[in-house]
Amino acid sequence: MDTLLRLEDLTMHYKTKAGWVQAIDGVSFSLNKGQSLGLVGESGCGKTSIAMSLMRLLPNNAKLVRGRVLFGGQDLYALSDEEIRKLRWKKIAMIFQAAMNSLNPVYSVGNQIIEAILTHEPETSEEEARERVKSLFELVGIPAERMGHYPHEYSGGMKQRAVIAMALACRPSLIIADEPTTALDVIVQDKILREIEDIRCKINMSMIYISHDVSVIAEVSDVVGVMYAGKLLELGPADDVFKKPRNPYTYSLMYAYPSILGEKHDLVTIPGEPPNLLAPPAGCRFHPRCDWATKECAKVEPVWHEIANGHYLACHNPIRTEAVKPCVEQVAATGNAQVAATGTVTEMHQVTAKGGDGNGASGSN
Amino acid sequence: MRRYVFGRVGQVILTLLIYITLVYFLLQAMPGDITMMYLSNPKIPQAAREELRSQLGLDQSLFIQYVSYMKNFFRGELGVSFSQYPKPVWDILMEKLPRTFVLFLTANILSFYIGFVLGKVIAWRRGKIIDHAATVVGITFWTAFYPLLALVVIWIFAYNLKWLPLNQFIDPRLWTAAPFTANQVFGNMVCGAAIVAIGIFLIFFYLLRGLKPSRRSRVYAWSATAALIAAVVFVAVRKGMLIYIWDITRHMILPVLTLTLINFAGTMLLMRDSMLETVQEDYVLAARAKGLPDRVVRDRYAARTALLPTVTSLVLSLASSMSGGMVTETMFSWPGLGQTLFTAALANDYPLATGALAFTGIFLLIAHFIADILYAVLDPRITYTGQSGI
Repeated sequence: MDTLLRLEDLTMHYKTKAGWVQAIDGVSFSLNKGQSLGLVGESGCGKTSIAMSLMRLLPNNAKLVRGRVLFGGQDLYALSDEEIRKLRWKKIAMIFQAAMNSLNPVYSVGNQIIEAILTHEPETSEEEARERVKSLFELVGIPAERMGHYPHEYSGGMKQRAVIAMALACRPSLIIADEPTTALDVIVQDKILREIEDIRCKINMSMIYISHDVSVIAEVSDVVGVMYAGKLLELGPADDVFKKPRNPYTYSLMYAYPSILGEKHDLVTIPGEPPNLLAPPAGCRFHPRCDWATKECAKVEPVWHEIANGHYLACHNPIRTEAVKPCVEQVAATGNAQVAATGTVTEMHQVTAKGGDGNGASGSN
Repeated sequence: MRRYVFGRVGQVILTLLIYITLVYFLLQAMPGDITMMYLSNPKIPQAAREELRSQLGLDQSLFIQYVSYMKNFFRGELGVSFSQYPKPVWDILMEKLPRTFVLFLTANILSFYIGFVLGKVIAWRRGKIIDHAATVVGITFWTAFYPLLALVVIWIFAYNLKWLPLNQFIDPRLWTAAPFTANQVFGNMVCGAAIVAIGIFLIFFYLLRGLKPSRRSRVYAWSATAALIAAVVFVAVRKGMLIYIWDITRHMILPVLTLTLINFAGTMLLMRDSMLETVQEDYVLAARAKGLPDRVVRDRYAARTALLPTVTSLVLSLASSMSGGMVTETMFSWPGLGQTLFTAALANDYPLATGALAFTGIFLLIAHFIADILYAVLDPRITYTGQSGI
C-alpha cells in the first residue's frame, strides 16, 4: 500500500515564559492511503499538537526542533505559506475538537462550506458548490433546507455533522478528527462515529482519529498509537494493541475504562498525573507512574523499535502476553486494582529483568 | 421585530420628554433674563422693561411657562428667538442643523472607518511596529487638548501652508455675486452626496452579493458607480453650483480633519481589543485550517464578529463629538447648532437655547435607536421578539 503520511522523528516545542514545553518529542509513524489511525492518550499529552503540526497551524510560540512531516512525499515544512494554504482542506482537512465553536456565528452554515469549496476550486460556480453542499448535508444526515441557517439555530449534534460535512467538502485524502464526538452524548456519538466510518470506507480516505476514549478509538481505527507526555509509547494494528498490549501504559489505559457488556471489574486507576512537559522525567517519561518500572527506566530512554510486523514499542519492560491474563482475573477477583497491579509487578520483573538489564547496560556504555 | 421597534419608539419619546424638562429648568436656572441687557441703558425705563417681560411671557410663573412650552413643543412650535426677534426658533434651527449634522456625520464616519481599519490591522499584527506606532499616535491625538489641536491644525494648514481657509462656512468674497444663497447650495450638495451614497450602497448590494461575484458584475458595479458620480457632478456643473460646492467643501476639510484626528483612536483601540478576543476563537483557527487566504480570515472571520461591539462606539463617539460640537464650531466659526447654542445661552435666549439643546438630544436618541437596529442586522444571533422586555 502507498504511504500517504510519514512523520519522521517529529519534535516540536512551545516557548513559554517558564521555558520550553516539550509537547511532541521524537514521534515517528506512517499512515497508508485509506487507513485510519487512532491516537489515544490522556489530556495534554500532545495529541492535538500533532494534529496542528500536520496542518502547519501551530501557534507562533511553537518551534519545530527537528524531524519532518512528509505528506505524499512532500515535506510540509519546506512549503511556502501560500503552498501550504492551498494544501490545507484540499488535501488535509480537520474536524475540530470544539465543533460547537468552529463555525462562524455570523454566516450561514451552508455559505461557510461553499466558501471552502470556492476557495480551493475557483473554477466551480456557486450553484455547483451549493449542489455539492446539498449532497454533503444528505450524506451526514442534515436536511438540505437547513443550509441557510446560522450555527446558533443548529443543535450540538447537527453542528457536529455540519463540521464533518465541511471537512468532506473538498474530498481530502486525509481527515484529522480531533475528539469530534467528545461534547456529544453517547447515542449521538455512536451514530456519528458510524457515519464517519461509512463515509471513510465509501471514499477511501485516510483518517487520524484523536481521542482520550479508548473505546472510541477501538471502534474506528485500523492502527492505534498510544501517546504519553509528547511521546509515542506503542503503535500497531488495533487488534494487536488492544488484545496484547505490550506497554504498561497501554494496559493501564485499557483497564481504566469500564465495560458495559463484559464482566464487572473494578477500574484500574493510573496513580499520579501526567508530567509537566517543561521538565519531563528522565528516562522513560511514564516511569514515575508505572508499576512495572525498574531503576533503568528512570535513567535510560527506551528505544522506539519494531517488535512485530507493524507493531512498534518503546519500553524497557514490555508486558508478556502470558502475564496479562492472570492479572486481569486477579483484578476481577480481589477487587483491588492497586494491589493487583503491584502484585503482578514482581512477576513481570522476573520475566523481563534479564532483557531490561541488558538494555540498560548497553545504554550507559 | 415590529413590536420591538414600536416599544423602542415609545421609550425614545419618554426619554425625550424627561430630557426636555431637565433642559428647560436648567436653562431657567440661569440668573436674569433677556431684558437684563437693557438694564444699563438709561433710555429704557423700568416700565418698558416690565412691559417687555410680560410681552415675552416672562412674568408668568415658571410652572405655567413650562406647561405652555411643553404643549407647544410637541406641536412643533419652539417659539420665537429673543435675541433674533422675531425670527422663529424653528427657522433658525432648520438653517443651522444640516450644517452641524453633515459636519459631524462626515467626521464620525471617517474616524470610525479609519479606526476600524487600523484596529483590525494592528490587532492582526499584534506586537509588530505598526501596532506600537498606531497606538502611540492614536493615543496622543485622543488625549490632546481639543482647542489646542484645532489651533495647531489651523496654524499649519491655513496659516503656514495656506492650502485651506482659516475658518467660516463660506468665503464671502466669492459669494457676493453668487446667484444662490449658501443654504440652497448646501442643500443641493447634501442631496447630491446622499444620492451618491445610497446609489453606491444599492449598486454594491445588488451586483456584488453572493460569495463569488463574477468579474463581469464587478465591472458593472464599478462603472455604475463612476456613472452615478459623473451624473451628479454634471448636474452640479449645469446648475453652475460646482464652484460654490467646492468652496463649502474646502471649508469643511479642516474641522473634519481635526475631529477625525481626535476621535479615530477610540474606535481603533476598541476594535483592537475586540479583535484580539475574536482571533482566539475556534472558528478563526478553523478558517485558517480551511485554507482561506489570510485576508479573508482577517476580514470575514475575525473582524466581522469583532465589529459588533464597535458599533456601539460609533454611537458613543457621535454623542461625544456632538457635545464637543460647541468647541469645534466656535474654533472654526462654523455657523451650526453648537455655535447657536453658545450665543443663545450667553444672551439668555431661552427658547433658542432650549430648542438647540433639544435637537442635540433628539439626534442622540435617534443615533441610539439606529444602533440597536443595526445590531440586529449585523448579528444574526440577536432577535428582538418584544416579549423579552427591552
